[in-house]
Amino acid sequence: MDYFIQQSLNALSFGAEYALIALGLAIVFSIMGLVNFAHGEVIAFGGYSMVIMGTLLTNNPFVLMVGVVAACVFASVALERVAFRTVRGADLTTGLLTAFGVSIILQNLFLLFGSPRPIAATQFIFLDRTIAIGSIRVSSLQIYETVTTLLAILALMFFLRRTTLGMAMRAAALDFEMVRLCGVRANRVIAGAFAISGLLAGLACIFIMARRGSVQPHMGFDPVLVAFVACVIGGFGSLPGAVLGGFLLGITEVAVLILLPQSAGGLAHAVVFALVALVLIWRPDGILSPAREKGDKI
Amino acid sequence: MRFLPLNSAQRQGLLGSAMLSLLILAIVGAYYLWGESYQARMLYAVFVNLLVVVGLQVFTGNANITSFSHAAFMGIAAYVAAICVTPIAMKAISLPDAPWGLNAFELSALSAALLALLITGLLGLATGLFMARLTGVGVTIVSIAILVIVHSIFLYRTDIFKGNQALFGIPKIFDLPQITALVIVAIFIARAFRESAVGLKLRASADDEVGARAMGVDVFKVRLIAWVVGTLFFATAGIAYAFYLGTISARPFYFNFVFLTVSMLILGGLRSVTGAVFGTLMISMGLELVRWLETGPVISGIKFPEVLGLSGLLLGVVIVAVMAFLPRGIMGNREIEDFVKRKR
Repeated sequence: MDYFIQQSLNALSFGAEYALIALGLAIVFSIMGLVNFAHGEVIAFGGYSMVIMGTLLTNNPFVLMVGVVAACVFASVALERVAFRTVRGADLTTGLLTAFGVSIILQNLFLLFGSPRPIAATQFIFLDRTIAIGSIRVSSLQIYETVTTLLAILALMFFLRRTTLGMAMRAAALDFEMVRLCGVRANRVIAGAFAISGLLAGLACIFIMARRGSVQPHMGFDPVLVAFVACVIGGFGSLPGAVLGGFLLGITEVAVLILLPQSAGGLAHAVVFALVALVLIWRPDGILSPAREKGDKI
Repeated sequence: MRFLPLNSAQRQGLLGSAMLSLLILAIVGAYYLWGESYQARMLYAVFVNLLVVVGLQVFTGNANITSFSHAAFMGIAAYVAAICVTPIAMKAISLPDAPWGLNAFELSALSAALLALLITGLLGLATGLFMARLTGVGVTIVSIAILVIVHSIFLYRTDIFKGNQALFGIPKIFDLPQITALVIVAIFIARAFRESAVGLKLRASADDEVGARAMGVDVFKVRLIAWVVGTLFFATAGIAYAFYLGTISARPFYFNFVFLTVSMLILGGLRSVTGAVFGTLMISMGLELVRWLETGPVISGIKFPEVLGLSGLLLGVVIVAVMAFLPRGIMGNREIEDFVKRKR
């Protein structure tokens, strides 16, 4: 029983991390149809700015957390302004490749100005403690992670349903032209989407840093690859889909790790991706997206 | 006086392929006249990349759907060819505990290559049946999934693939003349495919899928054919890679190589075979220059610092700049013979 609870918490926290990142991808995709592969580099940027702030300014972890989130928001909005504005409205392939290009540029900039080796940044490690609840020993980080993700989802729901900008963003996901005709500035809506995406990346960055304790140029790539897959499973561009996909992937990954024999641990990634491919073949548009006739959006 | 039942686009295709072949031959000729021997290795690598990029053009270019799995197919073919062709005595050292008697047989180079083509082609067919059904991002994701799965298997089955260590002892079968011939054949085939009925239908479905369906194009079928033909190109590239280098490992068949080849294709222009060739040549030359800068050269007495990551940076900048300013690449929809054709 204890084992079961521990593993469920594992699954939940894995899923929460994927869901956070996947939400950041989905909110940008839903509005401008861009598969933002550079999201992982936004997270890495947060990590590097934490190293810089940690050495230059303060070691106070709470100030650093605010700084990391601010840095991620800044990076995300700046990327939109510099790179993605030119390909707005272009087809999917163009956007995808641009995002890939931006991702490579940032990774290599980190390589140039940082170091190919990991740089230690351990200020958030204190979040990860083992605590005992009754007879179960759990990691406090996993609890923080799950709770933060749930709070972030609630806050995002409130923002999207109750504020003008939020409603404009939801409307833009359906019909951007109409939103613009109603007098909402396109730039503001898109910048808003990227800011939220950066905020979510910042939260994810805090947890990733708490777990790794170091930064590396490629640190963002793998989580985003998985989150990308989570988005696809749930239905690209659907926010509930991204959350569902994230948690499903978390559960699958933990289940695969438990069910496969120890020696096959290296294959966990392969199994997860194979399952994803199967889901996509079963429902090419993802689980939570309504069946759409081809040609609807032409 | 027409001997071949070709339409005008196809005849132009022959002319264009011939011109591109001349360009390739000129490069090889220049190497034999003036080149240093170390440049043979470089040129060989460029031609392997060229095979991959021309193969990418067949599916990604004509169907306008980004796919990232080519490195996986190339890797599979390279490993199959390498394992089959390595002599038994050598395999006793390099693959001591391979299962299923993989280290107890050896094939001639030709049959090893054919077997590698067959296996990769069958895998291409199996994945293609799913790929051709998907649309847009779906294809990209599943292609990434294939890449990750194949790479994990390479890393996991160290008894067969040696993972990140090198599988060594492959006899050197190919050299510059063979790869040059392969590249020229590949250019002709890719161009012929582009101008064939299937290629035309595929390009039509890329421009307007609904419209193409309405005109009676079986989008599933043409995508499937293009996918399998593309895989065969990647397989050829993989075999050529294994047959020259003598050692292979899993590392080159992953994302870095994918980025490199995709940026070559989009710089030249997705839609044209000429673009694929030009893009490969330009990026290869640019990278050589940048690699030289990376090592911190001494130019007119000034020692430049060593900068790691400059070549990657260049690739990224090329992709972003091309996408922003030249979304259709240098060549766009044009082929090489359009430059010499009389304007009407």
